[in-house]
Amino acid sequence: MNSWKKNLTLSASLLSATLLVACGDGGNAEGGSADGESAGIETLNIMAPTFETTAPPSGNEWEEALVEFTDQDVNIDWVPNVNYTDRMNVTLASSNIPHVMVVQGKDPGFLNSAEAGAFWELTDYLDDYENLSQYNEDILLNSSINGQVFGIPRERDIMRSTAMIRRDWLENLGLEVPTSVDELYDVLKAFKNDDPNQSGADDTVGMIIPTWYGSLDTLSVWTGAPNIWGFEDGEIVPTFATEGYIDSLEMVRKMVDEGLINTDFTTLSPDDWDSAMFNGDGGVIIDVYSRAMRINNLFNDENGTESETYVDITGTLTAPDGNEYGQSTDGYSGFLAISKQTVTTEEQLEEVLTFLDKLASTEGANLLNHGIEGVTYDLDEDGYVLPIENDLTPYSLEQLGMYGEVYSMRPEGELAETRYRLMEENEENVVYNAAAPLVSDIYARQGSQLDDIIEDARVRYIAGQISREEFDAEIERWYSSGGQSVIDELTEKYQELMETQE
Amino acid sequence: MSTNASLHELHNTKGGRIFDKFNIIFLLIFALTTVLPFLYVVAGSFATEAEIARRAFFIWPETFTLNAYRHIFTSQAFIRSIIITIGVTVVGTLTQLFFTFTMAYPLSKRNLKGNKLLMNIVIFAMLFSGGMIPTYLIVEQLGLINSYWALILPGAINPFNLIIIKNFFQHFSAELEESAKIDGATELQIFWRIVLPLSKPIIATFALFYAVAIWNDFMGPLLYMHDTSKWTLQLLLRQVTISSDPNALGQMDPDFVPPEEGLKLAIIVIATFPIMCIYPFLQKHFAKGIMIGSVKG
Amino acid sequence: MISLLYLSHRKGVNMGQEVSTEVLEKPISSKNVKKKSKQKYFWQYKYLYLMLLPGLIYFAVFRYAPMYGIQIAFRNYVPFLGMHGSEWVGLEQFRQFFTSPDFGRIMFNTLFISFLSVAVSFPIPVLLAILLNELRHAVYKKLIQTFIYIPHFLSWTIVVGLTHVLFSINGGAVTEILASIFGERVDFLANPNWFRPMIILQQVWKGAGWGTIIFLAALSRVSPEQYEAAIVDGAGRFRRIWHVTLPAIRPTIVIMLILTMGSVLSTGFDQLFLMTNSLNRSVADVFDTYVYQMGITQAAYSYSAAVGLFKSVVGIILIVSTDFIAKKVDPDSGLF
Repeated sequence: MNSWKKNLTLSASLLSATLLVACGDGGNAEGGSADGESAGIETLNIMAPTFETTAPPSGNEWEEALVEFTDQDVNIDWVPNVNYTDRMNVTLASSNIPHVMVVQGKDPGFLNSAEAGAFWELTDYLDDYENLSQYNEDILLNSSINGQVFGIPRERDIMRSTAMIRRDWLENLGLEVPTSVDELYDVLKAFKNDDPNQSGADDTVGMIIPTWYGSLDTLSVWTGAPNIWGFEDGEIVPTFATEGYIDSLEMVRKMVDEGLINTDFTTLSPDDWDSAMFNGDGGVIIDVYSRAMRINNLFNDENGTESETYVDITGTLTAPDGNEYGQSTDGYSGFLAISKQTVTTEEQLEEVLTFLDKLASTEGANLLNHGIEGVTYDLDEDGYVLPIENDLTPYSLEQLGMYGEVYSMRPEGELAETRYRLMEENEENVVYNAAAPLVSDIYARQGSQLDDIIEDARVRYIAGQISREEFDAEIERWYSSGGQSVIDELTEKYQELMETQE
Repeated sequence: MSTNASLHELHNTKGGRIFDKFNIIFLLIFALTTVLPFLYVVAGSFATEAEIARRAFFIWPETFTLNAYRHIFTSQAFIRSIIITIGVTVVGTLTQLFFTFTMAYPLSKRNLKGNKLLMNIVIFAMLFSGGMIPTYLIVEQLGLINSYWALILPGAINPFNLIIIKNFFQHFSAELEESAKIDGATELQIFWRIVLPLSKPIIATFALFYAVAIWNDFMGPLLYMHDTSKWTLQLLLRQVTISSDPNALGQMDPDFVPPEEGLKLAIIVIATFPIMCIYPFLQKHFAKGIMIGSVKG
Repeated sequence: MISLLYLSHRKGVNMGQEVSTEVLEKPISSKNVKKKSKQKYFWQYKYLYLMLLPGLIYFAVFRYAPMYGIQIAFRNYVPFLGMHGSEWVGLEQFRQFFTSPDFGRIMFNTLFISFLSVAVSFPIPVLLAILLNELRHAVYKKLIQTFIYIPHFLSWTIVVGLTHVLFSINGGAVTEILASIFGERVDFLANPNWFRPMIILQQVWKGAGWGTIIFLAALSRVSPEQYEAAIVDGAGRFRRIWHVTLPAIRPTIVIMLILTMGSVLSTGFDQLFLMTNSLNRSVADVFDTYVYQMGITQAAYSYSAAVGLFKSVVGIILIVSTDFIAKKVDPDSGLF
């Protein structure tokens, strides 16, 4: 009996210690640091991700310039980009919520918090500010949550997708840079069959695809399919339910069948994508422009050249129906959200927005993106930026940049020039994701499993492992395991959104 | 184990020699497969981007370049984080060893009252945890944000290690303790003067386990080190290697330019090499393990 | 002869055991003890209790205080709302998990990989440690030991990348060699039948060397006298391993096995995630990757807390039953 009693005492004391800490903790977590209610904001706390491998020290010259420019004391909490979401959620649970948080996307942690009232809804405020009102309407809508703006988007390029092709192979075979999907097919065929590397052996394929299947999405949009979600006949439709998608799917299956695509496309790591083209396993990749630049740099590195062009880029390719459909991004990369818990009054909100408004000016945007003129960069006679190598170089503040005119770097070499020309031209025929602003609860719950059904079916179909009937059966499975509910929900929200927009 | 060698002399049959040959060949082949990939990482860190892309595997670069290392070692932040990581690892390992060994010893006394309950508490804590956010809030409450102790104290006792150490102690010679007790030594003295000195292999083993765990920890610094000048190597390592995560491809800020491959490999080398080096140093303690027989004399 | 030898070495290794109870005074039979003697008992072992203190405080503060967080599994936890502000949903998360159409498959895959791992990846370090222990030259021994533990420090990304270099259907070194021998090319990375062997192969390669450390530490306490006695008795090499080396590390093996059972439903995320592709997903989906997948699209704190709780409960059941079996076989072994 005795030892039993002792156990009890021991466990009781342990438990009380536990409770003590736990309770103390629970209490404070709710409290928040919202003392000094309507007083002005002395130091504005910002939480932002950094991609750099070296940590920006606080109070560096660049940050001081920012303080001086905005006339607002700031404290930036740089968080490594890896697991930024974890830190964000932990911070939301803690008593130290920053005034402004960079949110990297509409991830569920953010959505739940926004729904619970953690952030200011900014739709009605932005137009009162000189620079913040200069948003791109499509992008602001895309970044909204069912039309409600919970953050100021960090605008990004809309057009990024291109095919990139080895120029030496094109030259060896006397081929032109393709301008349409059909021409691309011919190039792939020639790359497979006509010995583009002049090795005398059948050791090349046309296009390289790794286990990340963005290429196939791009190809389907170019062929005329919607960009993830379309809106047809009063209903939101998933891309795979459209003719354009099926056409491109059949085309890719044919390509695989004819050996135009690398045999290990079901297992090739995206890490080895660049080197597969560089090494001459294949001559074409469909991905973003920056990859083309990287591969081009590899060739330059190998040949000891500076900015020669070894890779041709195509931009959007014309669809078989003769039209151009440009695959767009959502046009933003996360947004800056303002905490309702620490920014408690309209006056304080105004203060914060005034601060952000300054950063969205030309001067502010350049300060964030390029730093201090004369210290981190100079402008040449054409108004292009010439960066100055400097201790501050790695500590870029561009993660806080929203929009605003930014000086550009002089495009180095033909490839860069072509890239900017194509990006601008292609923007005319942009196809947005119709459901970009919409947030579906059902999709939030089951989306990734639904996505896997389609992804797996697509890969197995083009690999020739399943028949068209089996592929269709998988699509049916998508609808019946929740896909139809997602469509219904999105359609309803889309219609609501359209009503409020008008 | 020098004694083993003499044993082998004593027992040197033909079968034994054949076994020895096979054994050594087998182990050498296995060791080779384990060391080659690391040699590739090292070689790659000295190679040009083009070479890394062109050659799937190599252990000697065609063209040597120190670019990656120059980049790393000209950065103050890098050097600072190396120093911080080493400091936290050393202090942390000692602290965690203290917590674990002092608790493991009394726990190993099977008849000490309350031990069964304590073991239950330990085992329960090994399997159930409150999760990331509650732990963060506790650390915040204790005022440990931005303190290096936040990287050490939350993991002061790994229940897994505790149980194994306790188990080791349970199989410890009781005769020595008994005779010390008769001489009037307290348990503290016995622990300090007899048990610990005879447990060098165990201490070395768990020093290694703890050191590696602290060294490789990145969630701790990510959550608790808000001051960027206190970042550890693992954060930097994760920053450069995460771009290899295929899943990150679709979600990453498209403007993000992944670091050069050579730099990535160089950071991997810098972030793993120092901690790999401690094993050979600890090894000698394994050889000098307690020889119950000889002590007993 | 053998049985004699066996006995003698058992005495050598476990000699602590038989007398260990005597370190403490004879346990005081609890029936005829009064309060005073309880205090006396405490006072007598005050140093031992004192030594427990730092550990106890640690467990209270850093392990048990956060445990109120377990209720996350029963709520729809939104960090911003805090624990009490988040909606209580009871067993909803569990219901969602257990009724998921994939539950059966995921459970099967997880258990399959886990038990393969216990059957293959667990014994190999023991074997390696014994082989290392048999190495005659100290230099070789140290060198090999140092090499084989290196992979532990390489991330799964690197290990998987290496696997691709070796096993790719498109020019992988191993694939080519095997193709030239058997005349048939196997797609090790995409063929679902090869998924589990590849996973285990990677685990062994990466973890075996590291796993030996604990057993080598245990082996360092074997008395040379025991070997000598065995040799004098004329025991051959394998008998010596069987009757001296193995029993010396047996308590460690048993305790490691018991502890391993506690994490049987945790197969590790990185490796499986990186090895999964569209063609092998049917065999590759396990709890850890599944929870991650749920986490991408929804704030899975509650959901993954629920799955985690389920894993812990299964873990504790397995630990207790393994411990029970171990004690049945050998009353000296086990957790307590």
